[in-house]
Amino acid sequence: MTGTEAWLARLRGRALPVRHNARTIAALAGNPGCARRAVLDAAGADKHRLAAYTGFPAPFGLSRFAITRGNAFEAQVKASGAAELLRILREHLSLPIPEASYDDLSEVGGNASPELRHARTRGLLARAVTHPAEAGTMFDHPLLTLRVGGRAAYLEPDLIAFQLGGQFRVIEVKSFPVVDGRADGDKVAAAAIQSAVYVLALRDALAEQGIPPEAVSHETILICPENFSNRPVAASLDVRKQLTVLRRQLSRLARIEDLLAQLPPGLTFDLDPDDAGVPRRRPAELAEALRQVEARYAPECLNTCEMCLFCRDEARGGTAALGREVRDDLGGVEHVATALRLARGTSVPERGSELAEAADLLRTAARLRADALGEAV
Amino acid sequence: MSESAEILEQRIGRLRAAVRQAVLAADKDRASALRRELKQAEQAWEDALAQAETTLPAGLPDSPGTAPSQGPPDGPRTAPASLLPLREQIYQALSLLTVPAAPKLLATVHEAFFASTFPTAKVTSLKRDEERSFRTAPFARPYYVCAALTADLLAPARGLLAVSTWPMERRVIGPLSPRVDFLSAAIQVAAAVERLPSPVPAASRLLWRFAASIPGAAQDAARMDPRQIAQAAEAELQVHQSADSETRRAAAMRARAQLDDAEQLFGTRLGAAAQRVGHMAGRGGQGRGE
Repeated sequence: MTGTEAWLARLRGRALPVRHNARTIAALAGNPGCARRAVLDAAGADKHRLAAYTGFPAPFGLSRFAITRGNAFEAQVKASGAAELLRILREHLSLPIPEASYDDLSEVGGNASPELRHARTRGLLARAVTHPAEAGTMFDHPLLTLRVGGRAAYLEPDLIAFQLGGQFRVIEVKSFPVVDGRADGDKVAAAAIQSAVYVLALRDALAEQGIPPEAVSHETILICPENFSNRPVAASLDVRKQLTVLRRQLSRLARIEDLLAQLPPGLTFDLDPDDAGVPRRRPAELAEALRQVEARYAPECLNTCEMCLFCRDEARGGTAALGREVRDDLGGVEHVATALRLARGTSVPERGSELAEAADLLRTAARLRADALGEAV
Repeated sequence: MSESAEILEQRIGRLRAAVRQAVLAADKDRASALRRELKQAEQAWEDALAQAETTLPAGLPDSPGTAPSQGPPDGPRTAPASLLPLREQIYQALSLLTVPAAPKLLATVHEAFFASTFPTAKVTSLKRDEERSFRTAPFARPYYVCAALTADLLAPARGLLAVSTWPMERRVIGPLSPRVDFLSAAIQVAAAVERLPSPVPAASRLLWRFAASIPGAAQDAARMDPRQIAQAAEAELQVHQSADSETRRAAAMRARAQLDDAEQLFGTRLGAAAQRVGHMAGRGGQGRGE
């Protein structure tokens, strides 16, 4: 175990490690500057549990109904050798008729161990590139790996399609509906970044075997139910932008050591469980430990991060808590109270200081507001 | 969360005690934190239970949940919706389709053409009963509901059922076989729909499910022609058939050469190989020679 590994294990304490998946990697990429999330994720800490214990349970989580619905839709799309999916691919990508082969990679010879499945996935995908004539078309539930913060995370795309003479395409089956050609923007964005994670993992897997990244298309395919029916429909997603963001974020994650170096020695998020797993640590003490790691809260965190309410409480009074746009509009002033003081003129920064320009603008804005509404701020 | 239900039960008990102590000690913070822990542990317990329920049929053959099915070998449990035993219903549906199929499709086929359906959750235990019955008294029954085998590793193909009397070529599944079987099934279903004296809504719905995924089969559900659907399926079948039957023939030859009787019907499992060798040695070749 390296020094970093030992550090991370100590941070996590005695809890079982939580593994990365496409969702967590995507969430990390959404807020690359947040050291708290980076450290907690790298340590494999159970953020949901930590947040709840400190009094800020996450306002979301996977509902069992949503999971069941998602699984049922996926099973429907993939039934009978992915017959429905094949129809969509033929319509959407003009997949030639002879391309109909289907390989199930969710177990190898009745054995579902990740190592075996990963080895078989790599073998099949490499063969598809080197021998396109005998390559398969659809690979169901391949298992890929991606190095995140120096350790391998297993990832399982819904399906990878390979078109003869063409490229690999990542296919993601999601159960949110596309109504009248439009879907929930947030959900599509989340799906796009998840697909990008798979594209990256697939490119990495092929690169190990000397296959160039162009073999994997940056266009991924999203399969969703159409309108209010169960009929699946396909849409292409261009994930180039997400790929750039992800790559930058993942390269940044490799420097988890630097983040750890800034933390006080002896810091841990252990709940101090007794032999039956009942935590003995005081919630306030754990909260104090969590505050040792700097967070960068933004309202977007509310959609993706389990720690969001904890961080929001901490960021109360800061301009960042109002969103990045507001923070930028306020000229980089850190706290709402400071911004108000500057606007009222009760606090005047030194001439030539960083805040002088922002203060001028804020005073102007306050005057305009007073003129328009007839009252002072 | 991968902790077992027993461990979680212990923890839930202890957490309750800890909550009580915290409340009595007027330690509000700790009490509410522990309450949330308790809630999560209970959720995890529910999840563990649900997971155990789904994996149970695939578990050890002697797990307590299977005890009722260890009765007389020719008396599997019957589905409540039909007077026929489950294995007869599955056999009927499989014989109509003539290709390996998933339990869900078989239930739909049975509903469409034999006017009764069965709960697919019971199918896994049926398959295990069939295997056990075969291993204790090989070939004692005229047919067994068995597994389809993957062409590469000759392992049981996930979620597919077949009939033991079918030739091996039909029971192995290569990469193109799911499509070929889908098209063959479409042809059989189209023929069966045509044989019906009067239209049955469930049968038409089933046929449309096939037709929708076959190019040139039908425009919409209201104007389907079974003959046209069969023709369209036949046309696509021509494209895949030669490549598929070659794979299947090769795999079937391998299966007949390498596997014993029981494995030919129920497949081999990777990773369980060591166990299986011991298992077979213990049986002293009982599975052979009949």
